[in-house]
Amino acid sequence: MKQLSIVDLSGAIAVVALLALAPVLLNSNYFTGVLTVCVIYAIWAASWDFMSGLTGRENFGHSLFIGAGAYTAGFLATVWYANPWYSLPTAVVVAVAFSLIVGFPTLRLRGPYFALAMLSASAIMQRLCLIFWEYSGGEEGLYGLDPLIQSPLHYYWFVLAVLVAAVAILTALAQSHWGLLLRAIRGDEATCQAAGINVTFYKIASLTISAAFAGLGGALYAHYQLQVSPPLFSVVVSITVIIMVYVGGIGSIYGPALGAIMLTLLTELLRSFGEYRLWVYTLTLMLILFFLPNGLIAPLWRRLTERFR
Amino acid sequence: MLEILIYGAVSSAIYAMLAVGFTLIFGVARILNLAHGAFYALGAYAAYVFTSLLHWPLFIAAPLAVLSVALFGVLMERFLVRPLRYSQLAVLMITLSVSLAVEQGLFITFGSEYRNVPSFVAEKVSIGGVDIGGQRLLALIAGVLVLLLLWLFIQRTRLGAAILAVSQDPEAAQYMGIPTNRIFSVVMAISAGTAALAGVLVSPFLTVQPTMGLLPMVKAFAIVIVGGLGSIPGSILAALLLGYSETIVAYLISSSWTELVSLVAVVITLMIKPSGLLGRRAAF
Repeated sequence: MKQLSIVDLSGAIAVVALLALAPVLLNSNYFTGVLTVCVIYAIWAASWDFMSGLTGRENFGHSLFIGAGAYTAGFLATVWYANPWYSLPTAVVVAVAFSLIVGFPTLRLRGPYFALAMLSASAIMQRLCLIFWEYSGGEEGLYGLDPLIQSPLHYYWFVLAVLVAAVAILTALAQSHWGLLLRAIRGDEATCQAAGINVTFYKIASLTISAAFAGLGGALYAHYQLQVSPPLFSVVVSITVIIMVYVGGIGSIYGPALGAIMLTLLTELLRSFGEYRLWVYTLTLMLILFFLPNGLIAPLWRRLTERFR
Repeated sequence: MLEILIYGAVSSAIYAMLAVGFTLIFGVARILNLAHGAFYALGAYAAYVFTSLLHWPLFIAAPLAVLSVALFGVLMERFLVRPLRYSQLAVLMITLSVSLAVEQGLFITFGSEYRNVPSFVAEKVSIGGVDIGGQRLLALIAGVLVLLLLWLFIQRTRLGAAILAVSQDPEAAQYMGIPTNRIFSVVMAISAGTAALAGVLVSPFLTVQPTMGLLPMVKAFAIVIVGGLGSIPGSILAALLLGYSETIVAYLISSSWTELVSLVAVVITLMIKPSGLLGRRAAF
């Protein structure tokens, strides 16, 4: 498969270095917090893109995995008082379990079943969190989680390292034979099946990988906010992630990650809009759908670096 | 026992109205409309504005609410969905963003608190010793009537025949001189209108607030999947099934568990018969 070019690699190193140094240069705890959220959203966007961007099976309930990971961390901390570091692997396992429950019945089918089932599952999970408030803490959720790392700056660097690892792993997978198969499935599922490819296996496996990283991100988010609440499961979270992927350029992994960082920073700037913020978001999405169907960041990067290749 | 029978019928009728509109626009235009719940919410809010705020008489307010939402649906289909029909994902994204925009718009205009709509029928009716609010009964009767009319419309009129033709093969229908795009508009109006009517009818006895559309829409997905995507009799059958199972679960166990019924029903259907109860096409 295509080798990683020097240009791409240097671009990636520059971006990561900028992200790592930004909080040191600005030296504000508030800004470090904003960047931490940016990077966590980047993990979610990249993980969404791996499954849905490559195979074209759009996942409208990524918040299901995010919430599952976050609530796992919450339960571990508030019910079992476990060491906070256990919550990362456990969150991954729980998110993968959720992905199998939804993916198994829906992904062997064609048609919109997977999109509908994911959207429904996340909406119902949010409801269940409110209904079974005795266990889930209801509207307020669970709070009193311990931070993984005390210093916000060090925690930010840790999360950034997780993002870099996630993007590296997902890109490597996407560039491999496996990624080629996933893209082929997007192109023509029936032909893939006729060629003897176990289409269902690849789709479900890529969903579990996507869910694993989303759940990991969820747990990281829980340990940053030190609390979890039902809106983590909401459709708004899923759609925010999808918009980030769209802005970044679907199917490119690094694009969505950068799109997430850019949009989260933009959201901070839009904070004065208050309740109109989501409107601005949906409007952005509509404009992108109409005018930039291939996204912004990844196509731009390809255009800029064309002549150096 | 009779209570289950009556209350189950009421929720089935409302689910059926929502699900039939959803499946109709999918079956005919292949539009998976994630803004369907927004139509329902808009219908309820239109009823609130016309009756509680403007104090219009009911026989003007209710039809006007339904018509304005139908118009909204037609405009959405024409200007937002149609240019993006080349991609299924883009259609999903645009309808979902419309639904979020509507939800946010309602939230900004009316706030998140519950709104009350006065009952259209104040009397309580007693059937075999079970007291049932007149409003619920009205919802049941209106729902059955609308579905019946819709069925007659599709089976007996020229326009209905054109809708059926487009749903079977849009290209062939176009070759036969059926204006496909106009049919899409008509179907969108019907679909949005029935969803809005459901919203209007439930507004006096359910809570009217901006996020009210999401969960009924999720139920409509479930019904449509269980009944078979694109099949109207299938969705009515599945609506009855789901409406009654939810009522029975609420009576026997607890109303907390009703939300799980639809999810379990979807999973079982997709495992055993993915094309749904009366689905025309095999799903895989």
